[in-house]
Amino acid sequence: MVERNEIELKLQEANRRQLLQGKIDRREFLSRSMVAGLGLAGVGVASKYGVGPAYAAEGRPLTPTFYDWIEGLHPGIPGVNERFPGINYQIAPVQGFGIERFVAESKKSDSTWDVYVGQTPFVEMTSLIEADVIEPWDNYIPADVIDDIIPSIREECSVNGKLYNWPFLLDVVGMGWHSGVTNKAGLVDSAPATWDEFLDGANTIKESGAAPFGATFDAHGWRSVAPLAHSRSSDVYTPEGLFDFTSDAAVEALVLMKKIMQTSNPDILLSGASDGGVNGTPDEVAFSTQRVGYYVKYFNAPLRMAQYWDDPKQLHMGPLPKFSGGEGSTVFWTTGCALFKHGQNKEKAAEYIKSLTYDRQIWKDSIAGTETAHVGQLPPYSSIYKEWGETKPDWMLPFVGLVRGQLDRAKAIDNHLFGLSQFQIGQPFWEAFLKGEESDPRVAMQNVTDAVRAEMNRG
Amino acid sequence: MDRGAEIIIPRSVGTAREPKIRQSISAWIFLIPALTFFVCYQVYPIFRIVWISFTDFEFLSTEPANWIGFGNYIEAYNDPLMWKSMGRAALFTVMFLPGTIIFPLILAILVDRVRHPLLATVYRLILLVPALIPSTLVFVLWKWMYNYQIGPINYMLVEVFNIFTYYNAPQWLGGTNLTLPSIAIMEIWWGLGYHAIFFLAGLASIPRDMLEAARLDGANEWRVFWHITLPRLAPIMMILVVLRFGTSMAVIDEYLIFGGFNRGAPTYTWTVYMYDQAFNIGLWRQGFAAAVGMIGAAVMVFFVAGLVYIFRPRG
Amino acid sequence: MLEQDRKYEANTPQQAWFAKHRFSIIRHAVINLFMLIILLPLSWVLILSIKSLPDSMRGQFWPRKFDFTHYSYVFENIKTLGGNMTNSILVTGATVLLTTFFAVLAGYALVHLKPWGKTFVFTILLLSLYFPTRVVAIISIYELQDFLGLINVTSGLILPYITLNLAISVLIMRSVFQLVPHEVIESARLDGASVWGTLWFIGLPLARNGLVVVFIVNFVTAWGEFLLASTLINDQEARTMPVVLAAAQGGMGQWAWPRIAAVYIIVVTPGLIAFSFAQKLFFKGLAEGVVKG
Repeated sequence: MVERNEIELKLQEANRRQLLQGKIDRREFLSRSMVAGLGLAGVGVASKYGVGPAYAAEGRPLTPTFYDWIEGLHPGIPGVNERFPGINYQIAPVQGFGIERFVAESKKSDSTWDVYVGQTPFVEMTSLIEADVIEPWDNYIPADVIDDIIPSIREECSVNGKLYNWPFLLDVVGMGWHSGVTNKAGLVDSAPATWDEFLDGANTIKESGAAPFGATFDAHGWRSVAPLAHSRSSDVYTPEGLFDFTSDAAVEALVLMKKIMQTSNPDILLSGASDGGVNGTPDEVAFSTQRVGYYVKYFNAPLRMAQYWDDPKQLHMGPLPKFSGGEGSTVFWTTGCALFKHGQNKEKAAEYIKSLTYDRQIWKDSIAGTETAHVGQLPPYSSIYKEWGETKPDWMLPFVGLVRGQLDRAKAIDNHLFGLSQFQIGQPFWEAFLKGEESDPRVAMQNVTDAVRAEMNRG
Repeated sequence: MDRGAEIIIPRSVGTAREPKIRQSISAWIFLIPALTFFVCYQVYPIFRIVWISFTDFEFLSTEPANWIGFGNYIEAYNDPLMWKSMGRAALFTVMFLPGTIIFPLILAILVDRVRHPLLATVYRLILLVPALIPSTLVFVLWKWMYNYQIGPINYMLVEVFNIFTYYNAPQWLGGTNLTLPSIAIMEIWWGLGYHAIFFLAGLASIPRDMLEAARLDGANEWRVFWHITLPRLAPIMMILVVLRFGTSMAVIDEYLIFGGFNRGAPTYTWTVYMYDQAFNIGLWRQGFAAAVGMIGAAVMVFFVAGLVYIFRPRG
Repeated sequence: MLEQDRKYEANTPQQAWFAKHRFSIIRHAVINLFMLIILLPLSWVLILSIKSLPDSMRGQFWPRKFDFTHYSYVFENIKTLGGNMTNSILVTGATVLLTTFFAVLAGYALVHLKPWGKTFVFTILLLSLYFPTRVVAIISIYELQDFLGLINVTSGLILPYITLNLAISVLIMRSVFQLVPHEVIESARLDGASVWGTLWFIGLPLARNGLVVVFIVNFVTAWGEFLLASTLINDQEARTMPVVLAAAQGGMGQWAWPRIAAVYIIVVTPGLIAFSFAQKLFFKGLAEGVVKG
């Protein structure tokens, strides 16, 4: 905070000098008087106005911008910032993935920020590349860091061999269970290894009355159809990078979803709240009200929901079950850092991101939890897991090792301009099967493919 | 005051009429502040949309946009989703508009008659409470209210009245058939007090002696309402109907929050379609999205013209 | 009238009292039903804000265990809350005053000064209500604000905010001024009053009911505006309340429900207090209208 004020003083001083030297052109003068004429802006505006250009000439401090939840979830970030005096840390104007501001600035070959922390490759990376907003990290990232990134993650973050996303927070889809519920139902306290065991367990929970519902999942395609398909086979992408809904694995995943739904909360298909339906989904509520035993989602969700329980220690987590004979893969994604093409301080940005992504305090907080948050997001680097393997920290939780094991087989959703929206477009069509409006899962999945194809062929 | 002025100042209209041009100039000076803002922040964006709607502009594309004439309009016109989603918006309007006029009107008429000064103040204050809540928080509140598992509404239905169980309780939000009525109820709740204040302002402008005179003449309350109150409220009602027709046809935040981008959901209206195309799908085809918007606007303007005609000043 | 009621109440048997007040009782019952509908959801939030976490995930209205720490959590986690609140108040206040002022001028001019092209202006204002400017408005407004150097300037938000409801405000003032007889204005002018004088001393007092409406319309929009505020401002300290609040319930949903409820109460309470003072000014206009008419 203190540093922040000093910067502002410096900025104001720079601006004032500029004013005195008569560097303001007519347009600036006009617009300034227009604002001043309204009698509102006053000194505040006059001092703030022109700060951008004034500082650009003298070089601005490193200016990262973060997706708003990241700081809330990772209270260790300010600690990293302290090691970079003068840093101008900001919260990004991207509520609900809105990247308009970034694109609009880029069109003028400009960027208020140097680096954006909050990019998810399959969601918005392709868009940012297409719009020429970001550039690869390859010229700035140290070689040993790039080699340290777990191979499947490096693949996720690369386009044409260039690293466009410096991975930071790893989310992996797995499963969690409420041991209070499973014990009451007389189940063994371990993760079901196969989907058959999973379904049996879910049925037992419901029939024994241990909880009203056996199992639940998040109905968004990238959190259900895709990971379930991956657990059969991760070879479910077309050559151009679209999810192949008509593949055997995807169809089997859909059938499995219908089976799980027989034991699940009836509102499971109703998508939730803000961020285009990302939060407050029915599965989250069911799990947090302790009305369901098994839960399939990325680990952050069960951890976050267990904070509502009478005893959060009853939460256990493990990898996603397999199909018998299946590949046992799952879906992961990283939330990482994008380098603005028209930003500044690129070397400094790389230094900062390296420091951020290797910060041990952040990882400890994320895995073991703090007073305010228990996130369960994991690091993207092999060396950190190796270190933990050699000397196991006393705060380490068992699920981390299990996930690390699965990560070599796990796969991210392929990067494509329709990476996220193919699941949004397709949802009503595969849900027709889940709701019983369409009896043949293959027909339903064919309809999904047709709908996505039709949308892509427009324009 | 008005009557006083009429009596004191002798009427001599026509003798010293100001030159028309001078009056017109001073009138335009009065209009300039409003019009400046209006042109910059409202007309300019509209012209931009009109222009964009005739091009193949894609926001994320680095290639320049091309003029394609009515191409986007033809595509939108032939798009079944366009008309289906327009129908959904109309359905919502039908659910929402009558309730959001009639309930506040009844409430305002009742509150207007409260003579106790403290009570009258407290009632008016409570009426304004929902209007003080930012929209994002209103949505959060009703997401809680309607929550399937633990929302107070379903809690009442399941645990208190035992009408349903947690296996078959109503699924309010998230794209079921109940979602549009649920959102309509939320919006009516939100506007209840706010619109009642509109009507209270209108009721206050009705001269009390006019009502008393009518009552003394033997008119019953219904006739007083129909022949005196309602005509005096007509301008305010017109503003509300015209305004709310516009907002209810063009609702978007609520739909995005309660229904997402699921095209099968009743909340996927033409505005969501437009937003989806402009900010979500592919390279963000804003040219096409603009055409969708223009068609939507044209349909709305057509109906508003009808509404304005119905509520036109008579007599 | 009130005096008479009281006497009546004191001197007659109960039955007669009920007969006399039957309509009044029904009226108050209906009013209170509506008030209950307005207040119940909010009281639910109030209770939620002091529930313990496990109780917040149960349907029961009354918690088993109270937890009052959620409020301190909010202040600790949104350190800029006070500043954001001030920003919101300033931006909203300036927006409301300026829009009302502009709308009064324009509405008055359209009705009583009869400028050349008034029908055209009216039509454009009306039509503008139906154009989905939202598709590109955010980008156009961003460009405009950038041109004016108002990106990341809190008070710069006032400019686009004024326009959010300008058209409807002008239309409201227009229809309000239409209720003022043209002869009154005309005769004041002939008596030698200036255009300003006529507006200020004759027109405005007659139009104060409309002012209340315009005030409220603009307050509600500016107070809750989210999209522009989040796009045009970079610094967390320079942002307005809705943006900072949205962060609390958006993203990964890291905020537990009772904590969001606490934010709720923190936001609504100052507005409520402010309004319980301001409403005197607002409703005085209404009351005077009643007495004088």
